[in-house]
Amino acid sequence: MSGWTLYFPYAVAFWLFVIGCFGITQSRNLIHTVLCLTVVQSSTYMLLLSVDFHAKAGAPIFGSTNPPGSASVDPILHALTLTDIVVGATVTALMLALTIQIHRRRGTIDPQRLRPMSE
Amino acid sequence: MNAATASILAPLCLAVPLMGAALLAPFGKHLPRGLSSTVAACVSVAVFGMAVALALYTYHTGMVVHWMGGWLPKHALAIGISFSIDPMGAGLAAFIALLVFAAVLYTWIAFDFVGTLFHSLLLAFLGAMCGYALTGDIFNMFVWFELMTAAAIALTAHKIEEAESIEGAINLAVTNTIAGFIVLLGIGLLYARTDALNLAQLGEIVAQRPADALVLASFGLIVAGYFVKGAVAPFHFWLDDAHAVAPTPICILFSGIMVQVALYGVARIYWTVYSGALSPQAHEIKALFVGVGIATALIGATMAYAQRHLKRLLAFSTVSHSGMFVAAIGLFGAAGAAGAALFVLAHGLIKSSLFVCAGNYLNRFRSLDEELLGGKGRSTPLNSALFLLGGVALAGMPPFAISAAKVLYDAAMKDRALFAVAIVMAFASAIDAGAVLRAGIHVTFGIGKAQITGFSPREEEPECDGPRLERTPWTMLAAPVMLLAPAIWLGTSAAFRHGVERAAHAFVDRQYYVAAVLHNVHRAVPATPAAPRTTEDLAINLSVTAAALLAAFAGLFRDHIPQMVSPVLGPPLKQLRGLHSGIFTDYVAYMMFGIAAYTVYLVVAAR
Repeated sequence: MSGWTLYFPYAVAFWLFVIGCFGITQSRNLIHTVLCLTVVQSSTYMLLLSVDFHAKAGAPIFGSTNPPGSASVDPILHALTLTDIVVGATVTALMLALTIQIHRRRGTIDPQRLRPMSE
Repeated sequence: MNAATASILAPLCLAVPLMGAALLAPFGKHLPRGLSSTVAACVSVAVFGMAVALALYTYHTGMVVHWMGGWLPKHALAIGISFSIDPMGAGLAAFIALLVFAAVLYTWIAFDFVGTLFHSLLLAFLGAMCGYALTGDIFNMFVWFELMTAAAIALTAHKIEEAESIEGAINLAVTNTIAGFIVLLGIGLLYARTDALNLAQLGEIVAQRPADALVLASFGLIVAGYFVKGAVAPFHFWLDDAHAVAPTPICILFSGIMVQVALYGVARIYWTVYSGALSPQAHEIKALFVGVGIATALIGATMAYAQRHLKRLLAFSTVSHSGMFVAAIGLFGAAGAAGAALFVLAHGLIKSSLFVCAGNYLNRFRSLDEELLGGKGRSTPLNSALFLLGGVALAGMPPFAISAAKVLYDAAMKDRALFAVAIVMAFASAIDAGAVLRAGIHVTFGIGKAQITGFSPREEEPECDGPRLERTPWTMLAAPVMLLAPAIWLGTSAAFRHGVERAAHAFVDRQYYVAAVLHNVHRAVPATPAAPRTTEDLAINLSVTAAALLAAFAGLFRDHIPQMVSPVLGPPLKQLRGLHSGIFTDYVAYMMFGIAAYTVYLVVAAR
């Protein structure tokens, strides 16, 4: 990978972030909103993993083919991504629970029709 | 206390509340409320004690650096995750524990929704905030903040049968989750440059060469993300929705400290990571912080004044104060940091006592509507007196005597350009406290005309069990007294004030932080001369209080004064109120605009 392909993953991360947020602004269904949030979150995975990428390096698991000291990608970024996934799962679960509850109370999950505290 | 004990206290500050939360959670409804209240109170008192001990130790002896799992730095290279504790961080943790204790005390009697699960969430919230305040690792900060947000969402929606609460929680969840991802994107960019996550290590690497677009973009993203959580314009919209519907004990923590904790993060990250590399851009960044600070303060104060719903009014007042904190932090000096720290403490105590008093009205009269409550406050004299006292305290009246005007006036003494900023902030404080006083006076004495703009459901479900509270239980009045008393001490104790000034000098000194974290060189906070207190301070605080009272009475008797303001300000105010639509889809659109504006400003204008 060289030239523009090195920067391509960053462009994808940017695109995922923007399109996810755009989806939220247009959302007419809270479940759609939650899914858009996961799209926004995918941009963080994309960014973290592309920071890490190195064409010549393997996974940070050392054995006979790649002895300790040989080139490997940075495991810290994988740890960050995993933590990020856990955080995202928590929020997704909470949001979906709130969606079920709001459907029980209001009979709709369209944010445009919820208009709770309009000035 | 020796270094080993201090190092053990560091992880205990979060282990104790998190263990408490985990132990309480499985019991659900089976544990009597008194028992779970006792556990929560004991844990918060224990955390308070440990954090105060850490603050005193770090003040007198030097920073406490605890490397989790014993992964010490090798050749000044951080490998593990550190808790890097200075008096500011430990003091913040102590303050959080104090507010949690106030929330537990307030709900000890008569709150039917308060049970084991509530206390469990409260302790998780406490543990997360302590972790955030004490950690020395930028990714760790993100994780603690996300745990705090998750607990905040659950606590906002705790009255799950009320649709308004859930709607407020959804607004909070969507905006704050995106904010978390923005912070994480910033951290990712920073890691791409530095291969480090420890704050001290990051600062050393970033300072090696002048800031380029990548470093500026990461700073822009981190600042924008924390500004969402810190309710700075144009990201503040979620706050008034969430704070107005959250249960009163939760408002204590939300308005008292959660918002300010995010701004602490901005200050901490700026001073430890970016202050070295961004010094050539310091002027532009200062302009950004002071500029958005002014905008936020004015928007918050105006919106607060236009509210009839007491909690919503107080929530907008918190937005306005957020702007003042940002401006104080944005002065980028030890004096600004000390002023902001004292101001955050005073505001947290006063604002949470105001929320508690508003909650007492709700439980007594089933309403938070200024017009509907008009004159009813007379039958609860103590609560009304505490509410009014909170109103004048918010304006900075002696002996409370800590106000934005004062902090910025001190800065203006050194830098004439800031004089106009000090005037604007004094004006915002007066309008803001004026709104609280107007509502307080109308509710207590029933004189004048109530504010009739702003969202208000008028009749509301009370938070306490039983058909109607005939008398307010003593715990619900003890909480505001307990909160206001230390605020008086804050305003009068010269020794404490000087202590905070010294701690702030250490806080803004990157080399001091790096020496302790990476080189194991611990020094007590440096001695600095105490800033003299003059009669001018008294004059400023009294004049802001007088202006606030004037604003309050101008609102109450607006029919008797010539209409000069409303024809001019009416249409723009209507536009501004229209922006607060209550729908997160709009808020996310404003956020996109704000993030783009912040990052582009930093990358283009500040280069």
